[in-house]
Amino acid sequence: MSLPPDEQQPGLVLDARLHLLDRQILDVDGVPVCTVDDLEVHGIDGSDRPDGSQQAVVTSLLSGAVLATRILGGRPPASRWHRIRWTHVVDVGTTVKLGVHGSELDVTWTERWVRDHVISRIPGGSHDPG
Amino acid sequence: MILGDLLDSPVLGPDGARVGFVVDVRFALDGPLDGLLAAPRLHGLLVSPRTGTSFLGYERNGVNAPAVLARWFAWRHRGTFLVRWADVESVGRDAVTLRTGFRRVSAALPGSLAQRP
Repeated sequence: MSLPPDEQQPGLVLDARLHLLDRQILDVDGVPVCTVDDLEVHGIDGSDRPDGSQQAVVTSLLSGAVLATRILGGRPPASRWHRIRWTHVVDVGTTVKLGVHGSELDVTWTERWVRDHVISRIPGGSHDPG
Repeated sequence: MILGDLLDSPVLGPDGARVGFVVDVRFALDGPLDGLLAAPRLHGLLVSPRTGTSFLGYERNGVNAPAVLARWFAWRHRGTFLVRWADVESVGRDAVTLRTGFRRVSAALPGSLAQRP
């Protein structure tokens, strides 16, 4: 049994699992930042739990420690997600490209912390190699 | 709403009977302008009547090779449909409920493979 086509077919569509989730996120210099672990969706009026009575849009890409929850089930609490606002996204293809530097994003704070508190204390670790 | 809460959820018809599971969520890049791109607008839910999983989107992108895999996935995901977001009555913690008179439309992706991300 074939179903009727979608008469309200929009132009460019993204299926979340097929085109967004688990894709690599690159910053404006092409440096890998993280992967898309989940998406945050809000109603057009800002509501946190929209239904079909109003439009809903993606507001942020989420990244976090999801390994354990993917194996054991559930999801990390909302406070553990790192959010990258959709405003920063400039292209979606085989990767998701941002228009900002990764160092400006909260999601890379662990890298900065390790750089400042561990790597920089190793002799020779406070300057570029070469 | 975190999208992960929606994925794999059971989908109930207006009478409370289960019609399937959310295997994916379709967005259209035609929402309000947010930065350089339009915000992805939630267009609809892809619902499979038999399984809560999907594999590489075989059932909606017209890929027919390798033939054995394509036929297996086409059979496994037979009956997969798209239900528009406007036909969603409520999104609960345990299930998504559809409105009375909701329509099932083809889940096929528009455009050719080369035009898709």
